[in-house]
Amino acid sequence: MTGVPTIALDVTGGAASRPDLVKAAAQISTTTSIDCLLVGSEGPIQAVLDELEYNPEQLSVLACNGDAETPLAAGLRAVSTGRADAMVSAASAQACITACSRALALVPGVRKPALAAVFPRQTEYPGQDRFAMLLDVGASSRASAPELVQYALMGAVYARRVSKIAAPRIGLLAMGHDTVRHDDVLAAANTALAAHPGLTYVGEVEGHELVRGRVDVIVCEGVMGSVAAGLIDGLTSALVDVARAAGEQRLVWRVGMRLLSEGIERVQALTDYRHYGGAPILGFERVFITCRAGADAQALVNAIKLAAKAVRDGVADGIAAALRGPTGA
Amino acid sequence: MAGTGLAWRSSSRPLLCRWDLDKTYLRSEFDTLRQLWRTAWERGEDKVAMPGVPEVVKALKTAADRHGAPIATYFVSASPPQIGKAIRDKLALDGVPYDGITFKNQLEHLKRGKFRNLREHVGFKLGELLRGRRLVSGAADELLFGDDWESDPLTYSLYADVVAGVLPAEGLGTLLRRIGVDPLVVPQLVALAAEVRPGGRVERIFINLARRSPPASLRVFGPRLAPTFNYFQTALVLGGMGHLDPPDVAAVGDALVRQHGYSGRRLANSLEDLVRRGLLTPHVARRVTSALRRAQLLVPADRPRALERLRDWGRDIRLRRRPASGVPALDYARIFEAFPNLARTRATEGKP
Repeated sequence: MTGVPTIALDVTGGAASRPDLVKAAAQISTTTSIDCLLVGSEGPIQAVLDELEYNPEQLSVLACNGDAETPLAAGLRAVSTGRADAMVSAASAQACITACSRALALVPGVRKPALAAVFPRQTEYPGQDRFAMLLDVGASSRASAPELVQYALMGAVYARRVSKIAAPRIGLLAMGHDTVRHDDVLAAANTALAAHPGLTYVGEVEGHELVRGRVDVIVCEGVMGSVAAGLIDGLTSALVDVARAAGEQRLVWRVGMRLLSEGIERVQALTDYRHYGGAPILGFERVFITCRAGADAQALVNAIKLAAKAVRDGVADGIAAALRGPTGA
Repeated sequence: MAGTGLAWRSSSRPLLCRWDLDKTYLRSEFDTLRQLWRTAWERGEDKVAMPGVPEVVKALKTAADRHGAPIATYFVSASPPQIGKAIRDKLALDGVPYDGITFKNQLEHLKRGKFRNLREHVGFKLGELLRGRRLVSGAADELLFGDDWESDPLTYSLYADVVAGVLPAEGLGTLLRRIGVDPLVVPQLVALAAEVRPGGRVERIFINLARRSPPASLRVFGPRLAPTFNYFQTALVLGGMGHLDPPDVAAVGDALVRQHGYSGRRLANSLEDLVRRGLLTPHVARRVTSALRRAQLLVPADRPRALERLRDWGRDIRLRRRPASGVPALDYARIFEAFPNLARTRATEGKP
């Protein structure tokens, strides 16, 4: 990639056309130097743009009405042919993985792609990244020990290049620290990770440690990762719902909630997924960022910035180098 | 009103190009008193032109001369004549050919204590446009160039409607009073409007979207007004109208690439934006694209797929069917509704 990255954006989000996705691209065009390639129906896209402040020099449209090819597939074709450098989509993660697998080549040596999830966690020291990465969270359900090691390498490259963590600490999600309770895959992965010279492996991580600041990258099989990521997500929204319901039930609680509101807002701001925008699918030769289905324009803006950053920071090249040898990344 | 091709315009009528200066030709920054003070003391070499604009002015003249068509270029500025030397120096430095330039005598307003007139430009600009019209043949075509910072779309539209003969002098007077033009000036403007000889027309009003106003916000000014985001887009529309040949358009693109850091990708994006907004037909876009490729400003592209060609063909047909002239008077009540800051007084019942 030379010069300014071009990010393909599926403006349908996997379903009907979404004006907020076009708004995100318009905002990107007026506030950054990133170019966006909007993939979707041309008429509706321009109708939204006409009502916005935008910079046409940084926006192009890949017309795709979805009859012959989905916007996701069309956007990935643009990425694979070099018209765009990366893609962002709010379509379902599974649809994104399937489309990526069809359109993009894996980095040489990568056995399986990994879907990452980024989530807020406690920090242990000032300046520590507020977000940790969990992978795989559902690109595939099972993984072998060498595949888990590859996930760790890919996550470490991403953390090093994008999150700027010099020596990301890697953990293996497990039932406990007692190796007796490990199955063959976990046991082999634990041994291989500990022996790998290119990784800072801190050992097994239990569920309750996910949101602590002990590790930066947690690797696991897709089934376990998907459940863990869903649980973190569900808990956050459940807590908000519980607090809201409590406030509605009793006046005293409402007053209490009011008094705590500033703190709650601060916590919400710190944990707001819109700050990181999206999560990468790692292992392909091109960058792909998935967003939540309900991601709003702000989340999309940050996801596009994240994609551009991953392109500029050479995540795919870093993964290839990491897989070649311990000093490669 | 998209151009139908890049053939030189068939009209042999003289062409009058009138340009606003600040934020249209010059990248003027006077949003704060400090900037205003600095602007007042700038020398010609300190002033910065909008990217590509000198090339557009020059290309219009070169193309007209090439085809033996009469053309005149005038600048109208709401800046005081005291900065005239710096501006003339700047235009000379840019090598821009022009036939005249007028400034707003702000000192006179100060002397008369007419402080409101310092910021009221509609009356001043309309007066200058109408006076300028008296000097040319009735059949001259005009191109007006302004920006979206103040009242250029309104001033130019009023003028265009007067020239087209669809806005009677009395109606103009009512509108000017509503806009808040100096009551002493309104009768003069109405008299000037009454003198406009029939047969001319304002072919296009170009508004440089210096503030990045959403294009849809200017739709109330009708299809005669072309909002453009950069001067490559302006050149493309001029090419589509037959005022520039493809190499002239490519020359503007080349200047943007060589002097202002534009990439071929950004030129292509600007072109595609115009096609999507219906300001340029795919046919013209293809012809200009060929010229840009010959100039090595764009990389060769894949041949468009059958579906894309079919879509472009349909778009060409649709845009060619649009009336290119005979635009009715604008609905000024709607314009004031959309831009309440342009009107100072409420409309009198039953009046425009």
